[in-house]
Amino acid sequence: MIEKIQKELNLEKRKQTKIAVLSSFTIQPISEILKETCYKNNIEAEIFVAPYGQYAQQILDSGSELYRFGPEIIFIAVDSEDIVITEKSLEDYASLIMKLKESTSSKIVVNSLLLPVYSSKGILENKDEHSNTEIIKKFNELLEKESRRSNQLFVFDFNKFCMRTGYSKLRDPRFVYLAHMNISLESLEKLSYEYLSYIIPLVSLTKKCIVVDLDNTLWGGIVGEAGISGIKLGPDKEGKPFVDFQKKLLELFNRGVILAVNSKNNLEDAMEVIKNHEYMVLREDNFACIMANWDDKVTNMKKIAERLNIGMDSFVFIDDSPSEREFVRKLVPEIKVLEMPEDPAYYSDTLDKVQDFNIFSITKEDLDRGKTYSLEKKREELRSSVGDIKEFIKQLNIKYKIDYNKKDEAPRIAQLTQKTNQFNLTTKRYTEEDILNFMSLKEYLVCSLKVEDRFGDYGLTGAAIIDKKEIGRWKIDSLLLSCRVLGKEVEFSFMKEIISMARKENVKEITASYIETKKNAPAKEYLKNAGFTLVEENSEKTDYMMKI
Amino acid sequence: MKRLKEIFAEVMSIEEKDISDESSPENTESWDSFNSLILISELEKNFSLKFTTKEVMSVKNFKDIVEILKKYKVQDKLLS
Repeated sequence: MIEKIQKELNLEKRKQTKIAVLSSFTIQPISEILKETCYKNNIEAEIFVAPYGQYAQQILDSGSELYRFGPEIIFIAVDSEDIVITEKSLEDYASLIMKLKESTSSKIVVNSLLLPVYSSKGILENKDEHSNTEIIKKFNELLEKESRRSNQLFVFDFNKFCMRTGYSKLRDPRFVYLAHMNISLESLEKLSYEYLSYIIPLVSLTKKCIVVDLDNTLWGGIVGEAGISGIKLGPDKEGKPFVDFQKKLLELFNRGVILAVNSKNNLEDAMEVIKNHEYMVLREDNFACIMANWDDKVTNMKKIAERLNIGMDSFVFIDDSPSEREFVRKLVPEIKVLEMPEDPAYYSDTLDKVQDFNIFSITKEDLDRGKTYSLEKKREELRSSVGDIKEFIKQLNIKYKIDYNKKDEAPRIAQLTQKTNQFNLTTKRYTEEDILNFMSLKEYLVCSLKVEDRFGDYGLTGAAIIDKKEIGRWKIDSLLLSCRVLGKEVEFSFMKEIISMARKENVKEITASYIETKKNAPAKEYLKNAGFTLVEENSEKTDYMMKI
Repeated sequence: MKRLKEIFAEVMSIEEKDISDESSPENTESWDSFNSLILISELEKNFSLKFTTKEVMSVKNFKDIVEILKKYKVQDKLLS
C-alpha cells in the first residue's frame, strides 16, 4: 500500500511563478540563490532582477522590462545608504512605491529601510527629533500603515531581519566598495529564504497541518516507560523547553493551523497525559486527530490525511527520531519533515523558522479552524450513532445561505479557489483582485455559500463564479465546495439555488464543465447527479448542460 | 580542503584542463564580476583566509591568484 501512495504522490508537478527584484544596489546574485531556494521547496521560479540601480526607471516607465516580464510578485530592496535621507526624499520614494502599486496587480513586498546602526551624534542621537533615525522610522511607519489598508502591499521588516541574522553579517565592506553589493552573499541566502515566506502562499503551497510525535517531542521521556509522573514537562529546567514548544504550536493552532498526533504509543497512555497532565499546554480539543498506536508512521499519516480530508502535501511532520523522519521523508516526499535538533532547547527556535504556514490574509474561517475540527468530531459521533446517512443529514438540521457579489467575502472566496482541490469543477485559481473584478463586472456573478448545522457554523465553504456574457445562457466558470461540507447534500442545494436565481433572470440554459485533475475525482459525477446532461467528453474536459 | 583549480573550475563552470596561468576575465567568458565575487568567497571559505580589497583588485589573471595564495602560505599541492 505504501508503494501505491508513493506513486500517486510523486506525480505532482512543481508550481511555477515569476518573481521580480528591484534594488538600489548590486543584488544580481539573488537571482540564482532565490531560484535554488524556490526549487528546493518545489517551486520553479523565473526571476527578473532589474539592471543595477534602475529601480525608479523600471517603475516609472510603463513599457519597462519589469512590466513586460509580468511578475506575480515584486520585491523591492532599497538600502537607506543609497538615499540621501531627508523628509522630502523619502516622500518621493513613498510615492514611487504607490505609483508601482497603481501600475500593477502583482503583490509588492518592500523592505523597510534600515535604521542607521551608528550615528556621529553619538549619545545625543535620540534627543534629536529630525535625526535620520527619526525620519526613517517615520517612513517605515507610513509604509506599514499603507500596507495595512492593502492586500497587495507587504512590508518586509528589514530591521528585524538584521536582528535575526546579525547586522555584522549583513555587509562585507570589501564587496560594498568593489561591487556596490550592500548585502553579503551569506545574508542574501538568508534573505532569499525569508522572501520564500511570501512566495509559498503565492503559489498556494501553504501547509495546513502539523503532525507531531509525542515522546521526546511534546514532552521529554517515554510515557509508556516513565508513566505520567515520570515524563519531563513543566516549569523546571528539563520540562520548560517542551512547555514552550507546545505554546508555539498553540499559537499556530490559534491562527488556523491544524494539529494532529502520530505517535507509537498505547492510546490510553497518550490520552492520560493529554487529558490529565498538569503542564500539558495542548489538550484533546487542539488536535483534529490523535493517532497513538503501533502502526508505522506512514500508514498513520495516510489515515490522518483521510480523516481530515487534506492532501499529503499539506503536512509538516515533527518527530525527534531521525529514523522515523527518514522513513516518512523517503516514502512520502510531499510531506515536509522538519529536521529537528537533538537538544529540546532548540525546538522552539526550529519551529519559528518554518515559513510554510504563511497566508496573505487571515479570514474568519482560518481563526475558527481549530473549533471546526472539534465540532467535526462531534458530528462523526452522531453519524456513527445514527447509522443511516439520510437520517444523519436530517438530524444535522443543516441551514445554508447564499450571497451574491459580496465584496467583503472576496478574500475568503479567493482563498477557497486557491486551496480547494477535491470538490472543484474546474480548479481555476483566482486572486482576491480577480474576485473583486468579477464582482464589479455585470457579465459575472460570484455566489458564496455559508453553511451551519446544529453543532455550529462551517463558515463560508462554497463558491461559484458564473459567466453571464451570453444572453439567456449562464456558464459556470467555477464551482467548488470545501470538503468539510461534503456528503451532506449541500452541493445539490447549492445548485438548486443557482438554478432558481437563473430562472429569475430569464436564463434558458446553464452550461458547465468538469476538468479532471489528479485530485478532483470527488466532483466527477456531480453535474450528472445534479441533473445536467452530458454534451461532450474529451481528454481535457467534460461538458454538460441543463435546460431550465 | 579543495584545490584551487577545483574551485576555480567549479565557479567558472569550465574544465580544469582549460585553466592556465594566463586565464583572465578577457579570455574566460564566465569570469564576470558576479563569478569574481563567488570565487573570492569560495576561496576564503576553503582556505580559511580573508583577502584585502587591494588584493582582490590586483587580480588580472589566474597566476595572480596563485601568487596571493602563496603569500598566505597555502600549501603548494593545493595550488595546482
